[in-house]
Amino acid sequence: MTAENISVISLRNLLLVTVPPDPDDETISALQQKILESMARHDARGLVLDISTVQTLDSFFARTVMETVQMVALMGGRTVLAGMRADVAVTATQLGLSIGATQTALDVDRAFDLLQGEIQGGRTA
Amino acid sequence: MSIALADEIRIDSESDIVVARKLVRDTATSLGFGLTDVTRIVTAASELTRNIYIYAGSGIMRCRPVASDARRGVELVFEDKGPGIADISKAMTPGYTTSRGMGMGLPGSKRLMDEMDLKSAVGQGTTVVVRKWLHK
Ligand SMILES: Nc1ncnc2c1ncn2[C@@H]1O[C@H](COP(=O)(O)OP(=O)(O)O)[C@@H](O)[C@H]1O
Ligand SMILES: [Mg+2]
Repeated sequence: MTAENISVISLRNLLLVTVPPDPDDETISALQQKILESMARHDARGLVLDISTVQTLDSFFARTVMETVQMVALMGGRTVLAGMRADVAVTATQLGLSIGATQTALDVDRAFDLLQGEIQGGRTA
Repeated sequence: MSIALADEIRIDSESDIVVARKLVRDTATSLGFGLTDVTRIVTAASELTRNIYIYAGSGIMRCRPVASDARRGVELVFEDKGPGIADISKAMTPGYTTSRGMGMGLPGSKRLMDEMDLKSAVGQGTTVVVRKWLHK
């Protein structure tokens, strides 16, 4: 698994990034790099991180996700984590991981709605 | 009753963590654990193999089915000859880390599994044994 296998789709001012099911640490780090580059290149205002196929969310993965969310925020973007499986959510909570103030949505569709509402709202306000 | 041989995986590089996760997932699934328990067991294996890789550099993981009385389950052993842990109760404290980690690997794995034994001697290494039982 390499960075080339990570799907990054740019739609209007949002990025959709799909995390592979069982990424190794290298892929997770490459994912972060690719997200930050793509945010800058597409001048994106928001990021939807699709984790619906992710099977294992351990503390290394969680820390990288949290870090990425913070970096995206520094670049003026908002992140929504989309589609975390129920068994993964239960396990992460029991492990003691907290994703802080990161927004979550049941699926990618709802994540887009959430971000578009916020970004549009923020612009006209 | 048969004695199951353990599958053994060497942990030498971080990509071995993925190999270990796959073996544990396949074993736990074939033993009949439900999806949430499989995810708990695999996540604990991910934490404990990463500890071997980060703190000891290398080691092994053994994975085997276990039975005692009327119970069946899975046992995972994580063994290294690394630096060892000087203060085990500190290491078991949530948030304690010597590597800028989250400090949740050991205490979290204990919560995810039914049993955990940790033995360590400074300069000699660390052995962590965890078990999860099937609930009928
Ligand atoms: N196999 C090991 N060998 C030596 N020290 C270890 C080992 N596993 C854990 N430790 C020590 O215990 C601490 C806590 O481990 P853990 O709960 O997994 O959190 P983290 O890895 O995020 O620091 C580590 O920071 C390290 O000092
Ligand atoms: Mg750890």
